[in-house]
Amino acid sequence: MKSRRRRGDKQAAASCQPDAHPPAPHSPASLLPSGTARRSSQKKHSICMVSDFFYPNMGGVESHIYQLSQCLLERGHKVVIATHAYGDRRGVRYLTNGLKVYYLPLQVMYNQSTATSCFHSLPLLRCVFVREHITVVHAHSSFSAMAHDALFHAKTMGLNTVFTDHSLFGFADLSSVLTNKLLTVTLCDTNHIVCVSYTSKENTVLRAALNPDIVSVIPNAVDPTDFTPDPGSRDDSKITIVVVSRLVYRKGIDLLGGIIPELCAKHPDLCFLIGGEGPKRIVLEEVREKYQLHDRVRLLGALDHKDVRDVLVQGHIFLNTSLTEAFCMAIVEGACCGLQVVSTRVGGIPEVLPDELVTLCEPTVSSLCAGLESVISRQRSGSVPPPAAIHHQVQNLYTWRNIAERTEKVYDQACQQPVLTLPARLQRLRSHCGAVAGSIFSFMAVINFLFLLFLQWLHPVHLMDAAIDASGPDSCWRKSFKKGKSKDPHPD
Amino acid sequence: MGADSGPGAPPAVPWRKVLYERQPYPDNYVDRRFLEELQRNIGVHQYRYWAVVREAGLAAQQVSCVAVFSHIMVLHGSRRPGTLHPALGQSWVCTFGTLTASVSTDTVYAMSSMMLLAHLVSFPYTQPAPQAVLSLPQRCLALCVLASRLPGALHTFAMLSCALLVFALWPCLLHRLRTGRVELSPGCRPGVHSWVGGLASLWPGGALLLLLALLVLTLACPMLLVHLQRHKDNIHGPVG
Repeated sequence: MKSRRRRGDKQAAASCQPDAHPPAPHSPASLLPSGTARRSSQKKHSICMVSDFFYPNMGGVESHIYQLSQCLLERGHKVVIATHAYGDRRGVRYLTNGLKVYYLPLQVMYNQSTATSCFHSLPLLRCVFVREHITVVHAHSSFSAMAHDALFHAKTMGLNTVFTDHSLFGFADLSSVLTNKLLTVTLCDTNHIVCVSYTSKENTVLRAALNPDIVSVIPNAVDPTDFTPDPGSRDDSKITIVVVSRLVYRKGIDLLGGIIPELCAKHPDLCFLIGGEGPKRIVLEEVREKYQLHDRVRLLGALDHKDVRDVLVQGHIFLNTSLTEAFCMAIVEGACCGLQVVSTRVGGIPEVLPDELVTLCEPTVSSLCAGLESVISRQRSGSVPPPAAIHHQVQNLYTWRNIAERTEKVYDQACQQPVLTLPARLQRLRSHCGAVAGSIFSFMAVINFLFLLFLQWLHPVHLMDAAIDASGPDSCWRKSFKKGKSKDPHPD
Repeated sequence: MGADSGPGAPPAVPWRKVLYERQPYPDNYVDRRFLEELQRNIGVHQYRYWAVVREAGLAAQQVSCVAVFSHIMVLHGSRRPGTLHPALGQSWVCTFGTLTASVSTDTVYAMSSMMLLAHLVSFPYTQPAPQAVLSLPQRCLALCVLASRLPGALHTFAMLSCALLVFALWPCLLHRLRTGRVELSPGCRPGVHSWVGGLASLWPGGALLLLLALLVLTLACPMLLVHLQRHKDNIHGPVG
């Protein structure tokens, strides 16, 4: 892998048109694409998003998949989502605007990730890909075994593949070494990779030994209408610091446990409002007990996504203590609600907000305390901009429509690339993934290919029913919806 | 901008590593500063050969200790059975002597060599102290098993006291040596290793093997370690 690369002049020159049109207000008409987008949007893709993580599970990946899919539907593409069954939620479901979701009966192993054997999901996923006439398979999250499986099968079936990595990972411990090897194998013949920040791109390129040219950076977005400021709901007689995060080690809850007593001792009018649940809750409870801060540190427990905004607007300062973060949605949400944001300078966080909107500190108690002190004194002197002004500045930074437009270009580019034939793929695996892992996965690719031939003999493609398009150019969702009856003759 | 933007004039604005600004570069643009913040091999300890050899001497010493113990064992085992010394006829020695008498000899030797090997592996080389959690019980077990192969209680007792010297008290002395309270180290190590000479009189082949093992341990292994240091590639990357 080359550690430093520079794109050729021709390619750099190809990119000069500034993205001039302002990010979309919420009407489709304002989405009028620029020249390049108009040319590319002529081709409509059939996209299958695959990830273990989807609604009813809640989190960054889940909302990313949902919002991105909705915006791609809006742009006229056909999108289906494949995930594993969540309890009673099995089979096919339709979400807003005909977004079709396959909840496949795959066994969950750990942390909502399915068990993988590399082969057993092929019949099901082939069914989805064939019946829905999928052209692009877009897998999400390196923690999702189903995403890895789907990429593997899609390549066997000759489909174009795109992968989005949502998280940063280390290099040193055993689990990282294994996951990184798996990622190397998965990504060595994937057409295009998307990362959520430049730091995440560097991380992924290193982990999977990739050519950085096939890795695009497309950030996450927040819906600004969900996070509006409301200065009336906060108590200005005191200063409230809000923390909304899962209470786990990666989110730096131990740091928070060090900050609370130090600042509470110095500022008698300081309150902490902490939303979220997790194994590190005990740390905060102990601190609260030890320093008798029950009236000043409120632990709200797990929050629904819809309640997050109501918690955020009660505070003056938003604090994020994460130890590692690819792209921190939480600080964008906090700033979008008009709060002053204090965060650790780790991972992709410095790229997310402009310096005037965020105070960055080193991930130590003393540095975070110093950062908070300066913001508190600014808050007291009234020299901070009003929440509405901050909201106005943040609301257009990250929009899902912009993200979808950029992702569409990734699909266009991925579709121009050839899908490797089996011999080429075997060669790529052996040359990129080392002798041992390369040979093992080459063997598995061959087995997978034979399994696919068997399935093609067992259920020939021409005998499989095509699913009726609920979205995309030939969508019949709207008319059947208007008639008030289901026209789907294949109730799965 | 997307990945496949159309042609035009080269962008005038320099690229910045920020996401909040729409920049006139494609999403898959790779800047010159890509991976600039990557750091390699931070705080890696650079070993020097003779320093490693000195440290490896400790491991060699322990191997010699085990050899000493085995040697004494073999010497004892080859003697004729003596009469029971009344003054030394402690009951616990007798118990030791008969505890594993019904186990076959092959098993006893296999078990004891496994245990001595385990003792060598788990010995706390960095901090030799009598409080060794794992290595002490292992060689105690080895001793128990071997005790039944000795011809009499006297031998068992002698063996026990010898083992105590070699395995329980020797690490104490070693600890003092290392903490600098007793300065004997240079002379003492060859002393231990000179047992090779003693062994040679009894079993020349074994002496040769032990000598080879000691040489590999003290000279070849450190060389390998120092040599492999060159291939160390520890990434302290953009993980945050």
